[in-house]
Amino acid sequence: MDSYDIPESTSSRLKDHFIGATPLQKRLESVRKLTSFVPPSPQRKIPQCSQLQEDVDPQKVAFLLHKQWTLYSLTPLYKFSYTNLREYSKFLSAFIVAEKQKGLAVEVGEDLNIKVIFSTLLGMKGTQRDPDAFLVQILSKSHLPSENREGKVLWTGWFCCIFGDNLLETVSEDFTCLPLFLANGAETNTALIGTWFQKTFDCHFSPLAINAFNLSWMAAMWTACRMDHYVATTEFLWSVPCGPQSLDIAYAIHSEDAKALWDSVHKAPGEVTQEEVDLFMDCLCSHFHRHFKIHLSATRLVRVSTSVASAHTNGKIKVSLNKSS
Amino acid sequence: MDEIVAEFVKRTILKIPMAEMTTILKAWDFLSENQLQTINFRKRKESLVHDLVMLCEEKHASVNDAALLDIIYTQFHQHQKIWDVFQMTKEPGEDIDLFDMKQFKSSFKKILQRALKNVSVTFRDTEENAVWIRIAWGTQYKKPNQYKPTYVVYYSQTPYVFISSSRLRSSIPLLGQALTVASKHHRIVKMDFRSRYLDSLKAIVFKQYNQTFETHNASTPLQERNLELDINMDSRIIHENIIEKDRVQRVTQEIFGAYPQPRLEFAQYKLETKFKSDLNRGILAERKEPLRCLVKFSSPNLLEALKSLAPAGIADAPLSPLLTCIPQKRMNYFKIKDK
Repeated sequence: MDSYDIPESTSSRLKDHFIGATPLQKRLESVRKLTSFVPPSPQRKIPQCSQLQEDVDPQKVAFLLHKQWTLYSLTPLYKFSYTNLREYSKFLSAFIVAEKQKGLAVEVGEDLNIKVIFSTLLGMKGTQRDPDAFLVQILSKSHLPSENREGKVLWTGWFCCIFGDNLLETVSEDFTCLPLFLANGAETNTALIGTWFQKTFDCHFSPLAINAFNLSWMAAMWTACRMDHYVATTEFLWSVPCGPQSLDIAYAIHSEDAKALWDSVHKAPGEVTQEEVDLFMDCLCSHFHRHFKIHLSATRLVRVSTSVASAHTNGKIKVSLNKSS
Repeated sequence: MDEIVAEFVKRTILKIPMAEMTTILKAWDFLSENQLQTINFRKRKESLVHDLVMLCEEKHASVNDAALLDIIYTQFHQHQKIWDVFQMTKEPGEDIDLFDMKQFKSSFKKILQRALKNVSVTFRDTEENAVWIRIAWGTQYKKPNQYKPTYVVYYSQTPYVFISSSRLRSSIPLLGQALTVASKHHRIVKMDFRSRYLDSLKAIVFKQYNQTFETHNASTPLQERNLELDINMDSRIIHENIIEKDRVQRVTQEIFGAYPQPRLEFAQYKLETKFKSDLNRGILAERKEPLRCLVKFSSPNLLEALKSLAPAGIADAPLSPLLTCIPQKRMNYFKIKDK
């Protein structure tokens, strides 16, 4: 995956894959897309058929939806092996229990009877070259045999690499490149997992912020999705932090109207260009300016939310499932 | 004291933060000085509350006494509720009777009690001819729920009533009726004006917010005012920018005044207007339907934040009338459509 620089050229292209996909695949496609939400350099083209559509088991990845994920970027893992997942599960379980017993991350009444599971996530990648994504879950071992044998999921995190060609070229064989980490669950658990990974694989996590530029790309792409029906409004949140008091401006537009605006802006089928994204956002801002005389472009776009997914500048995202009839 | 009253007393006292305990109890004036002196206020809260409840028991506190304490607590914590503003009107030509507080209270209570067998109504007079009313709602068969009361603040010399927002929407029509009849008005209308800050709502509704207005001499020569601006200004700004900056300051001052703004936390606009843009001709040109938008501005102090937008260069000066009309129109909920 590219680093998050603004490309020199004014137009970039992304293939629009939403034609012919099932609703679940559409949502998962968005998940895939958002991890490569940076418009690539002009030479780069996203292949028509991604691994996602071929290999993914819908059941297995359905749990990724409807959750809020906090994003982190991760440096390559040294001497990580997919064949050792069992061992990693054991070591990480032991580590977590030990740390919690030390009292470093104890919450009152916390159940120390936990189990960690590592598993691969097939299909969550862009090209064949991308390393497989994998999933880590902390489960509480249930006391009652009648309950679900697996126990309740306390924390989930997954590591993936989508279209990481540029990075993969630069890294030596000992390293596994999975630059995106998504976590859902208690902060304390995320910190513990992070510590173990950092110690074991000599890597480093840093919180991933999503800047306004990328948020507007996401808003445009998600608005572009053809939906059977709209569940939520399309909403933008701008923040004006300066001045004696902070001011938040929430601007929600009916999703059908947002789609109509996008369709009016969008020219070439099957691709999304920088100019279209800019024009889309510009139209929304000028409609706002006409009423309120406020230049939204002078403020900070902090959050975008559509029926498909939502993303916040602090690196929290959520992909929703649209139940189509 | 029966169990229900005891529980009510206990839970009301429990709400009070330790730092305010003595002040509120004194304002309540139910427990005597002597009784209060027997209490050790340095104890842990739970046991302090227990002792206080015992004292209330000794004095046979009633539901009404506890309700009064609840009113006082709410008066100290007004911002915990969201207040709606209602306006009452008289029929044209109706006589303007002299307002009788006693008669209002008794009439108000009677109307509610006649409609619902179970309702508790408590009054507390405050300054400016205002009265705080606490209503706990019950039904024909159920005792009043003391834990979801509605508060009404009525300034008797005005047609305005402030009512705390509650989930019990069904009680509003009856409440409205009781207020209008008891105060000898004809109609009551809910204004699109809502905030947590009762003082600010009051200030705006009664147009009291410019009382701290210092006489600003608008005819001060340009040069003199420039001296004030110069302190903060970049010396590299050339003459045209100085004039523009000055104009923005002046226009903002004219609209918002030189005084601190009353405190509102949000303004909401429901827009149904067509998309029109000079720059982007052709976009949505054929679309007859308007864009349906909902815009919400939120801030710890909305009016101060809006005031700072034009000087910061984020908005044009003058600011849109949709925003500046909030205090004059006494509204912060708007529905805007194309004419």
